[in-house]
Amino acid sequence: MATTASFIIVSRNDIPIYEAEVGSATKREDAAQLHQFVLHAALDIVQDLAWTTSAMFLKNIDRFNDLVVSVYVTAGHTRLMLLHDSRNDDGIKSFFQEVHELYIKVLLNPLYLPGARIASSHFDTKVRALARKYL
Amino acid sequence: MEPDVSIETSCMIRIAVLPVGTVPASVLRDYFSMFLRHHTIPLAAISSFYTEHQKSPFAHQPWDAGSIRFKFLLGGAPPSPWEDFQSNRKILAVIGICHCPSTPDLDSAVEQFTAACKNYSSALVQRCFAFCPCDSQLEDGGKKEDVLRLFPPADHQTLDIHLQTMMQEIAASLLMDFEKWVLKAESAGTILKTPLDSQASLSSEEVLKAKKRRLGRAQKTIGDYCLLAGSPVDASAHYSTALELARLTGDFFWYAGALEGSVCALLMDRVGHVDVVLEDEVKYQYNNVILHYRKSFIQDNAQRVSPLSFELEATLKLARFLCRSKLSKDVVELLTNAADGGKSLIDVNDRLVLFVEIARLFGTLGYQRKAAFFSRQVAQLYLQQDNKFAATSAMQVLAMTTKAYRVQSKASVSDPPCTKKQTGPSHTDSGKMHHHLIVSLFESQWSTLQMVVLREILLSAVRAGDPLTAWSAAARLLRQYYPLITPAGQNGLASALNNSAERLPSGTRSADPALPFVRLHSFPLHPSQMDIIKRSPAREDWWAGSAPSGPFIYTPFSKGEPNDNSKQELVWIVGEPVQVLVELANPCAFDLRVDSMYLTVHSGSFDAFPISVDLPPNSSKVITLSGIPTSVGPITIPGCTVHCFGVITEHHFRDVDNLLLGAAQGLVLSDPFRSCGSAKLRNLSVPSISVVPPLPLLVSHVVGGDGAIILYEGEIRDIWISLANAGTVPVEQAHISLSGKNQDSIISIPYETLKSVLPLKPGAEVILPLTLKAWQLGPMDFEIGGGRAATSGSTGRQFKNASVPTLLIHYAGPSTDSEDATIAKVSNLPPGRRLVLPLHVCVLPGMSLVKARLLSMEIPAHIGDGHPKPVHEEEDPASETVEESDRKMEKRLVKIDPYRGSWGLRFLELELSNPTDVVFEIGVSVQLDGTDDNNLPIDQDGNSEYGYPKTRIDRDYSARVLIPLEHFKLPVLDDSFFMREFCNEGSTSSSRSPSFSEKNTKAELNASIKSLISRIKVRWQSGRNSSGELNIKDAVHTALQTSVMDVLLPDPLTFGFRLTRDNSSPQQESGSKDSVLANDMAPMEVLVRNNTKEMIKMSLGISCRDVAGENCIEGGKSTVLWAGVLNGITMEVPPLQESKHSFSLYFLVPGEYTLVAAAVIEDANDVLRARAKTDSPDEPIYCRGPPFHVRVLGTA
Repeated sequence: MATTASFIIVSRNDIPIYEAEVGSATKREDAAQLHQFVLHAALDIVQDLAWTTSAMFLKNIDRFNDLVVSVYVTAGHTRLMLLHDSRNDDGIKSFFQEVHELYIKVLLNPLYLPGARIASSHFDTKVRALARKYL
Repeated sequence: MEPDVSIETSCMIRIAVLPVGTVPASVLRDYFSMFLRHHTIPLAAISSFYTEHQKSPFAHQPWDAGSIRFKFLLGGAPPSPWEDFQSNRKILAVIGICHCPSTPDLDSAVEQFTAACKNYSSALVQRCFAFCPCDSQLEDGGKKEDVLRLFPPADHQTLDIHLQTMMQEIAASLLMDFEKWVLKAESAGTILKTPLDSQASLSSEEVLKAKKRRLGRAQKTIGDYCLLAGSPVDASAHYSTALELARLTGDFFWYAGALEGSVCALLMDRVGHVDVVLEDEVKYQYNNVILHYRKSFIQDNAQRVSPLSFELEATLKLARFLCRSKLSKDVVELLTNAADGGKSLIDVNDRLVLFVEIARLFGTLGYQRKAAFFSRQVAQLYLQQDNKFAATSAMQVLAMTTKAYRVQSKASVSDPPCTKKQTGPSHTDSGKMHHHLIVSLFESQWSTLQMVVLREILLSAVRAGDPLTAWSAAARLLRQYYPLITPAGQNGLASALNNSAERLPSGTRSADPALPFVRLHSFPLHPSQMDIIKRSPAREDWWAGSAPSGPFIYTPFSKGEPNDNSKQELVWIVGEPVQVLVELANPCAFDLRVDSMYLTVHSGSFDAFPISVDLPPNSSKVITLSGIPTSVGPITIPGCTVHCFGVITEHHFRDVDNLLLGAAQGLVLSDPFRSCGSAKLRNLSVPSISVVPPLPLLVSHVVGGDGAIILYEGEIRDIWISLANAGTVPVEQAHISLSGKNQDSIISIPYETLKSVLPLKPGAEVILPLTLKAWQLGPMDFEIGGGRAATSGSTGRQFKNASVPTLLIHYAGPSTDSEDATIAKVSNLPPGRRLVLPLHVCVLPGMSLVKARLLSMEIPAHIGDGHPKPVHEEEDPASETVEESDRKMEKRLVKIDPYRGSWGLRFLELELSNPTDVVFEIGVSVQLDGTDDNNLPIDQDGNSEYGYPKTRIDRDYSARVLIPLEHFKLPVLDDSFFMREFCNEGSTSSSRSPSFSEKNTKAELNASIKSLISRIKVRWQSGRNSSGELNIKDAVHTALQTSVMDVLLPDPLTFGFRLTRDNSSPQQESGSKDSVLANDMAPMEVLVRNNTKEMIKMSLGISCRDVAGENCIEGGKSTVLWAGVLNGITMEVPPLQESKHSFSLYFLVPGEYTLVAAAVIEDANDVLRARAKTDSPDEPIYCRGPPFHVRVLGTA
């Protein structure tokens, strides 16, 4: 498992709808903030890059210091973004695909308003389990 | 590292611009901006100042198209250790700026300037420009031509031309100096060093290599000068030599430098003709440059100096070059690499410059978030330096990031009104909005980042000593992220706000509101006393149609009317205070004191009254804000102004509405109002408010106190209502109408009184009398009334309000107050007003009617001869009433005439009960109306009522009141009453529906009963001032229903007896005149009256019975002898006439006898048949008179 990993789902309106620190490193508040800042900044890159390729998985699109950002863009332009320091591309790709499925399940919930925060604790548990498995 | 580097930097001549003497900052900035305009001097323009002293080394100088570029450095710069390596880093000229009005002594200024120039050893040209000299200074300065240049006082444009000339002159001298330098360098070889070259390596280097290297470096420097001189072709030639030599000697650093220069020369040469090929070339070359800079990295002196900054600069230069053509992917790659390289930079300032440049380039690329990210890195670097200026810089840099992080201060948002106006009202109107629009309102809720940024702004502002920015940041932080901040943090922010406010002058305004949250609660409607009604000019009753009429809240007909849309209109009046309810919420954990708060109206046509509020932690409060509109026109209330935490802020209702909307959608952290326990408010639509000129204002009160008027059921009372005009405009029109329940309880309405006092001037008062009659309480009312007696208070009030009638007074001022009446009439007729005046009447259950029934009483009449009634009236009850009316009027008693008896007299018995705790007195009166009077030949002298003695009913007692109905018999039995019945009877054969006829009969009956009942009034009185009328209609109606015909209609024939003896008889006088002696012949007459309008033929018979009821004329034991005919008397009585038949009786035994006359009518007509209710036309009609008593006295 990666020492540092920060996972975030950004809706098509650029609002983070799910955030999780999934790294094994001890959690520090300022580090978490930095992760968010980096991910937020990486949105600019994704925004351009997403339209240049048909792939959903955009690996290592941005980096700051030793933190790398990989992104998985869904068809609805929801972005699953992972900030990581490991180079386990296959694991990350699998992680994204599985989380995408989970996200689709959330979307299928008729009570879930697309674009709103994902508050489901079940989703959270599953995402963290996937992170343990793949990252 | 240097800021703002680009590939072209290499061809710019640096000129230090220094202020000399005292130059005010603004003036200095002004002068400097003038310099900036002359950054490029075309070579063609300087030829007049240029003199070729010797052969120019710049053989390919493009005199027609080339130019010399300047880079002005205000305040100069310290000499760089790398200026040998890149000649453009040298400060090649120094220009002093002297502002003569503030520096009178030019000599000292020149001295100062010369001293300053000593720091710039590399400067080839020094000039001091003195602006705006006075005359004496002009004279004085003329002597120092060499250094000082005086600019004659002139306008800006002229000055600009002067300056241009001066700059051209400088350019020319620089060019000449460059030529000199290059010639010297070519001939004598100069030692060129960089910090990279260690002393040891230079001295121990083998000579040949060192010489070649030195030559290469000299060629590179000459190339630099060629570039500066504006001759790229020459530069290229020198650079290619330098490249060759540097490659041979492995001087990678200088190789990279030369390569950089050659790219610059290439670009210079091709200026304006950038194409893809060139781009690729530049990219390739520069990547080479970067590579070689990286190669030149020498491990052993890495701690001291590193070519890294040149590598990064080259990266940035390439990035900036590529930025222009929007090759964003390459730029991002370059910038990301540059950012990575930044880690290894030793100098903090270098890193600062690097991040600033990266942020700028990302910004140029349109990557605002990236730019913000690096700006924040810059700010963090600034914050690491612990001084005030760095903190100010950090604050300013962070302020730039706020847009990307969407935490910007409202002060920096330039166009919120127009953009928000489109979304704001529309969603408040509809309550629903497209989801993506709502989301876009709360775009980028990166709360973690936003809080961090705001906290950093707060920190830097506190350090920089900018209280307003600190206040604003703390306010934004507290207002938007309070749910994420611990109570301790909230308290900290509150104290930060207070501390900042202490340093601010009082009355400081901030664009960013802090707490509390303010939302519009409601616009209270005008109290019913002041309702405003729109006048429709076309109608006389202008108020009609303005209010929804009818019992239905919704009518399909009103749909689609313009006033139906949800945007309701509110009318305010100039000079009359208005109120707006707002709700405040303090979701934080500290006590919030709002020092003052009032409605904001930008048009200034509104005087708002400030109030102060205290809000405990986690609480919300609805408060009333009021004010007075001061001028006519539409008015909008966007929000309110709040003075809280020492700063004045404006709170817009719209923002909070958006916030609440977001909270409802789960997009915003929390709804401040709900977290404070406030109820969810329906989406209030903000009405469009218009202010109208002053209107009259009627104020009403009930004379004698506004309390509830307590009345017993049926009680009649006069009340007086006082209306006063409290406005400033006279009332010119007024109209009273009724509404609500029990409207008929208001008996009289003083329409005329009101009309007569118009116009009612301001301050005038009118008193309107009104007569009330308390209504009957229904069964429901009884229940509630009973409950009220038991409980009291609210239920009673409700009940009272529900059933009271309401007086509506519509009134209006003058219809137009200007001469252009027609225009005003069409466009804006000032509205009228409505005064709603509920009559607070409280009806108590009073006397109640338990039941009513009809009783008949039969008292046989005595036969006598002395009663003085006219013959034709005998036995006719209706006539009798008339005849004896006078007497009855006096005594108010039912007097039964003993000679006539009261056969067929009926009484209406009313059983009344008194459940109250007061005593009632009942008086019955019968009204004789005009229709009866016509039929009666003798009328009462104007008095149309009979009174009966009063009956007293004590509390909790019941009593019965008898009302004789004898007065109601009609005098004549004619067919008018039966008209319909005849029709029916006639038509039964002709297949007319019997049910129809029955119905008609019933209606006829009811009509007559109604008229009968309406003449009977049961009045009551209780105490001194309570009096009223009992509603007996229904009860009497039911009582009379069955027998109304008998009551109302006279018999067709009436019979009477009387004695006919001569008046001279002594016995008659001594004895009672109405008695008969036994054993004496008693002559008698029977009178038969025909009550119909037809001649009646009949066969009359007379019978006599004793007390035992035995017939004493016929039979074996008859005790009465007779003379004359007693049976089968055939008589014909003309209509409305009477006939008599004489006979004599001889009584053998004294005692009481009863005489009864009976007749069989022959050839009866339909009227008679109907009256007798015969079934078949063949049935004989038999009429029997009432019994008459005869008292036979004994002779003894």
